[in-house]
Amino acid sequence: MLSHSVALDEPRKAVLLMGNEAIARGAIEAGVSVAASYPGTPASEIGDTLCRMAGRFGAHFEWSSNEKVAFEVAFGASMCNQRSLVSMKHVGLNVALDILNLASLRGVKGGLVLVSADDPSQHSSGQEQDNRWLAKINCIPVLEPSNPQDAKDCTRYAFELSEKVRLPVMVRTVTRLSHMRSDVTLGPIERQRRKAEFDWEGFSYRVAGFERLFRREKELNEKLDRVQGEFEGSVFNGLKIDGGESLGVIGVGFSFSYAIDALRKLGLENKLARLKLMTSHPLPTRLVSRLLKGVDQLMIFEEVDPFVELHVKALAKDVNPSLEICGRMSGHLPKEGELGPMIVGDALAKLSGMGRPCVPRLELDARVRQTLFDRMLTLCAGCPHRATVYALKESVKKVKGDLRSVVVNGDIGCYGLAHAPPLSFEDTYFCMGASVGVSQGMSQVGVDSIAFIGDGTFFHAGIPALINAVYNRHNIKVVVADNQTIAMTGFQPHPESGRTAMGSEAKRIMIEDVAKACGVDSVEVIDPYDLDEAEDAFTRMLKTDGVAMVVARRMCATEAVREMRPRRPAPFRVDPELCIGCKLCLSAFGCPSLSWVDDDAKASIDETLCMGCGVCSQVCPQEAIGRVAK
Amino acid sequence: MEPFRLVIAGVGGQGTLLASRLLAEAAMKSGLSVKIGETYGMAQRGGPVMSHAQIGGEVSSPVICPGEADVLLGFEEAEAVRRGVTYLKGSGLALVNRRRSPPAEVVSGMVEYPSRDRLMSLLSEVTPNIVSFDATALAEEAGDPIATNIVMLGALVASGCLPFPESTVIDVIEESVPERYHATNLKAFELGKRAFRGSRTVSPNA
Repeated sequence: MLSHSVALDEPRKAVLLMGNEAIARGAIEAGVSVAASYPGTPASEIGDTLCRMAGRFGAHFEWSSNEKVAFEVAFGASMCNQRSLVSMKHVGLNVALDILNLASLRGVKGGLVLVSADDPSQHSSGQEQDNRWLAKINCIPVLEPSNPQDAKDCTRYAFELSEKVRLPVMVRTVTRLSHMRSDVTLGPIERQRRKAEFDWEGFSYRVAGFERLFRREKELNEKLDRVQGEFEGSVFNGLKIDGGESLGVIGVGFSFSYAIDALRKLGLENKLARLKLMTSHPLPTRLVSRLLKGVDQLMIFEEVDPFVELHVKALAKDVNPSLEICGRMSGHLPKEGELGPMIVGDALAKLSGMGRPCVPRLELDARVRQTLFDRMLTLCAGCPHRATVYALKESVKKVKGDLRSVVVNGDIGCYGLAHAPPLSFEDTYFCMGASVGVSQGMSQVGVDSIAFIGDGTFFHAGIPALINAVYNRHNIKVVVADNQTIAMTGFQPHPESGRTAMGSEAKRIMIEDVAKACGVDSVEVIDPYDLDEAEDAFTRMLKTDGVAMVVARRMCATEAVREMRPRRPAPFRVDPELCIGCKLCLSAFGCPSLSWVDDDAKASIDETLCMGCGVCSQVCPQEAIGRVAK
Repeated sequence: MEPFRLVIAGVGGQGTLLASRLLAEAAMKSGLSVKIGETYGMAQRGGPVMSHAQIGGEVSSPVICPGEADVLLGFEEAEAVRRGVTYLKGSGLALVNRRRSPPAEVVSGMVEYPSRDRLMSLLSEVTPNIVSFDATALAEEAGDPIATNIVMLGALVASGCLPFPESTVIDVIEESVPERYHATNLKAFELGKRAFRGSRTVSPNA
């Protein structure tokens, strides 16, 4: 749910913005000309905002097919003196590393800003990865905003810095900041467009020569020194030290918000020295040294890894060897997981010899956990993936007998929930596109497997693996759960959708055509809402020797309901006369619109949730489920 | 000055995000500083969602500490209890939609949904101030169950806890929601107010 005020051309007006909207706004204010991304929580709303704003300000935004391509699109524009932005979730940068590495070594022309949205505590990710390490090994500066206002201002400044030192600049946000909302004062929007011109001198190796273009490590290190110099006096950092304080605090990026709140709550706001640090790499050592020399004890708050802590430790060895440094490395803070007001407050209170600022009700919380279900995530009512997995499971039973005779390699998307009961039919889950690759290693050593991949993920990273399967004669089966959108991150379009991020019509690139062009001979497209048709197709796929694929295509149910609103198809109803209470619809299929009524020992359908797909009526062996007459 | 602290608990799809955003806009309109934060990683898939809002006062992060919230707005009975016992301050106000949204593990028969008495007795260990009513039924009466969030906002306004007036909330609803839904939403808001005023705080054994 995005706000309209993000696009207002009213400098100095204060509006309510989400952190991610503020980042998008910062890019627009800086006059960004090309922005590209691949959706991924917690970064998605940066693109969701830019796709609506870009056209109005003469810029281009696209959902690229993956993060590496997105980075290359942005870099290409930068080489032609245009400001460009690329945003992604933290693990997206693993995909884009190859080009980041060279963009930093060869340099940029137009400001190139990389937004990395890290996910402490893995709210929506498979790993808790701190991308500041990737910035460090690729020698690029990092800015870590502490609130939405900083996020906007930092992003805007990152373009200037990038142009000044000719390096990509990383703006690192974290889930809490990306998804928080607060007041942001808007700035003016740069509307001046630059002439797009390839920088021959900077990038063409015919002009620059092999030696000058490729061997640039020394230049890179000099650039970082210049950045450090710039960071020493940056307005984004704030040191408060009066002299005589024994304890100092460094709050890095968003963690500063927790730290300052805790200091206020404990009444220590004016008693401790503190540094708000938003320029975490390279470390402004002269600025930090002033704090290090002035205190006996230092507490460092930062999200995910002890990145700043490690660098501060190295610095302290030279400037104040007796300084006690407390943080994630020293055991004063947990080694992993997100910080929060309670962890930060407790740590500061303990160091200051004060009582805990808040005491959780651990015993009561434990009793509630005992009493209450966890509320597992589940596929939505009417989700076509549920029908796909149900039919696939039935045909595996039929062809192979035992469900354990085949390993189901899942992939990244809603359909990953196939592992959850009652379907429970997915065994592995790694990174984008991995299902197709790992299945080949399994088949090579004689273990049967099915690669279960979504449409967006197929375009992102499934294609090279599919080509490999055909070329290297791997005997794999691929099921594409095609709901025609990148659903999990907010229904973004992809190459099969027929429209671009900015809403123009696009050529539809069909997965079956791609698969055939990759050399897959056996490709079928089915509608998973027809269970018989689906089961037959899966059965043929399982019996095929070599690479075989079924594309199960049906629009995402949530998207379909939204498109039909306010109308919707008549819901289905359980006929209590015919229902024998076998519970198969609940125990084997488990659509959230179904429930069990204890009093009559019958199944029932919540008609406000039912979207009328009718798949449960095909599951019911008694034919007790039928559409409600309008 | 201490901020007004609110926790909203619910399930993906119930409109908790819109509710917190409307309150934040109302706070901005009233010249109060506001920080709201949400966790909704996989909210579309029936997972629990929670918003924190800190309005007024001097705070930087939206995240509320355990036992600090002045009010809990529970859009679903079990989620209200889950978050209420953690975040609500002793004697804080719990506004609970008693309409249940059973999760997959209940639907598939793996576990049971705890009884209302059981749930409310856990919550009442934290506060006696519990107002529980079927907000979804009122939203249906107003014309659309999706307006449950507006019913809850109505009840919150009627509780008198908010640091800004009712008219500001109504203005924000009218500005933010498409005009064709105004009638339904205003009726839902009114029914929510009435539900609060007509309620007595319930204790589990009453």
